[in-house]
Amino acid sequence: MSRTTTPRGDARPTRAHRTPPPTGHTSRRRLLAAALTLPLLIGAAACGDDDSSGSGGKTELSVFWWGAEARAALTEQALDLYTRKHPEVTFKKTWQANQGYFDKLATLTAGGNAPDLFQLDDNYIAEYATRNVTLDLTPYKNDGRLDVSKFPESLWQYGVVDGKLAGVASGENTQGLVFDKTLLDRFELPAPTTGMSWEAFIAWAENVSKTTKVPGTQDPSADYKAFWVWLRQQGKDLYKGKELGFTEQDAAAWFELWKGARDRGATPTADVIHEGNVTDVSKQLVVTGKAATSWVWANQMPELKKNTKSELGVVAYPGNPSAQWARASMYFSVFRGSPHKDVAVDVINFLANDPEAGKILGTDRGLPSNLDVRRQVADSVDDPAMKQSIAVEGELAKTFGPPPAVPLPGHSKVKTELTKSAEEVQYGRQTPAAAAAAFHAAAKAAIGQG
Amino acid sequence: MHTPARTEPPAPRGPAAGRRGSGRARRRENLPGYLFLGPWLLGLMAITAIPMLLSLYLSFTDYDVLTPLSEARWVGWDNYERMFTADPSYWHAVRVTVTFALVAVPLKLAAALGVALLLNRAFRGVGLFRGLFYLPSLLGGSVALAIVWVSMFNRDGAFNSLLALFGVQGAPWVNDPTWALETLMLLAIWQFGAPMVIFLAGLKQVPAELYEAAAVDGAGTWRQFAHITLPMLSPVIFFNLVLETIHGFQGFTSAFVLSNGTGGPVDSTLMYTLNLYINGFVRLEMGYASAMAWVFLLAIGLITAVLFRTGRFWVHYSDSEGQ
Repeated sequence: MSRTTTPRGDARPTRAHRTPPPTGHTSRRRLLAAALTLPLLIGAAACGDDDSSGSGGKTELSVFWWGAEARAALTEQALDLYTRKHPEVTFKKTWQANQGYFDKLATLTAGGNAPDLFQLDDNYIAEYATRNVTLDLTPYKNDGRLDVSKFPESLWQYGVVDGKLAGVASGENTQGLVFDKTLLDRFELPAPTTGMSWEAFIAWAENVSKTTKVPGTQDPSADYKAFWVWLRQQGKDLYKGKELGFTEQDAAAWFELWKGARDRGATPTADVIHEGNVTDVSKQLVVTGKAATSWVWANQMPELKKNTKSELGVVAYPGNPSAQWARASMYFSVFRGSPHKDVAVDVINFLANDPEAGKILGTDRGLPSNLDVRRQVADSVDDPAMKQSIAVEGELAKTFGPPPAVPLPGHSKVKTELTKSAEEVQYGRQTPAAAAAAFHAAAKAAIGQG
Repeated sequence: MHTPARTEPPAPRGPAAGRRGSGRARRRENLPGYLFLGPWLLGLMAITAIPMLLSLYLSFTDYDVLTPLSEARWVGWDNYERMFTADPSYWHAVRVTVTFALVAVPLKLAAALGVALLLNRAFRGVGLFRGLFYLPSLLGGSVALAIVWVSMFNRDGAFNSLLALFGVQGAPWVNDPTWALETLMLLAIWQFGAPMVIFLAGLKQVPAELYEAAAVDGAGTWRQFAHITLPMLSPVIFFNLVLETIHGFQGFTSAFVLSNGTGGPVDSTLMYTLNLYINGFVRLEMGYASAMAWVFLLAIGLITAVLFRTGRFWVHYSDSEGQ
């Protein structure tokens, strides 16, 4: 799906295997390692040469992101605007659907030809930052070449990993509970409200199931973001420092809470819950009509709206909304090995702060990080779903607590383990306590603790 | 094929000169051969041999894809040890894969042989039927097919609507951990077209005189099948068995699509290769994944070797017997 593919020199290994083997008195194992590593290193070096050959003041910057075509069009426009203002800088733009994006990014990085500028999210930013793939942007922030002064404090801090600024939020979002307003209106049922207790919400969902015959809510016990908000409301967290921020008992209580909800008929059956777990946002249960409520990110509202005729509403997750935070929907990061670091940082700065670029990009990656730009975009937006998500996010932003630290490396595994254990309970194969024990142990191992 | 210069050295004129001359000539002669071979050889080196050796090396390191290769730390047999002693999901995936292969492969071959026997007769439109039965396997490991399968076999899918006509309440098949793997097996079995075509070709080779002679001796259909068709067909059965077994162990696409790359619901479709992919690309443990890949290679090699061993007892090659 990518427009331009980053060159993967086919001739490279050819050149490599003609290179004389390294000489010297090293152990046989080191020699083997060197011989095997050589092709890739040479490949990387060759690629570096290609990149810096932008002589005559010309610079070509490679940019890589995931998303649908709409995002691609907007991003390309914004980058073209940069080229118009800085004719010496051109872009090699590569994008693809979410599926497979991180596989490809990892492969490119392994080959030493990571793009100069690429998109990350909080599932992977710590993985990339702790392995020194991303450039530490702190010096740029300190000397003003990267301006985050108009960002909400917590938002830019959400890109800090181990004291280094690993990425710049390219938008803000937060957890959102999306409900089918049309359905509720038809049966004259009340809408859920921000700040209602979990107990009240489950009772509400049970009532919706009984009245409308559509299950009141997707069961979010396999959903890390719902679990996370719930934990923060108990004064815990998903991670604390380099360790898990919750106990086995916490996880058991969470599974127990939703077992109760399922038993009361507030949620769909296990197979439908599973369907909602594995499919992408366009097939969320609230959209397919298999539940009256889905647990998503607030900025996904327009995408959801596109897939249903129903009118949708969005509120905060149940419980105290101050447990939610301004989350960087995704980041732009610079490759540490990039020959054009300064230019790349300047492009990020431009995308985040330039009013014209902001107008082009809109809320596609979440609310604009720069509050001035955000205000301006909010005034000019006329898509009702987008308007709504901006309004809700703005409303919630007043209650936001401090953000948690960015998820630890190993987070993607923690997520899959949560899904697995939650589903064990949903399908009735394990008790909440047993599943919680398994999940806690697996999560601990995944982040390399204990 | 070979020129005399190659097979028998020319009579020596002057000992040294003669040898050097023939060597040069030989090289000149071989040059076009190597030139023609070149692209293929380079391809083999670049996209098969070097990456394979590299992955063998990586399987002894903690390589995580994102750090430069040169920083991969040598960990000895740790990855292999972890796989066999400390990773329950590894053994789970092995169990899922073996179950899949043990059930799907024999059924697929049986279906292929059965349909091949039916289509080996002459009747109107036989070509059309052969084409239709072959069609599913043309689509091969296609993603689109797996997606169709998912929508056919969920709770409100076409399959359950069909069952409902008979008053049967179906399970949520693909979304049910007890049935998800069976649904994938069904998909694999349904794609029996390729072995079927090979069986058909094999059936055409069986001499008609054998059947005529057997019929004269009073052998019925079943005896003809058991004593002529099966033995005559045994090399083809063997070929299909080996091929499909390897294929069965490598099942990936349908499990990947069905579970969105997770092996769910609850790890019920966690095939070996899918687990390998998750370890390498989702968990960024490429060293460990490489070790898994090498064990996989050895296991498939071993299974194939065993099949060849047993083949001695039941595969009959007519030409070796006849002459």
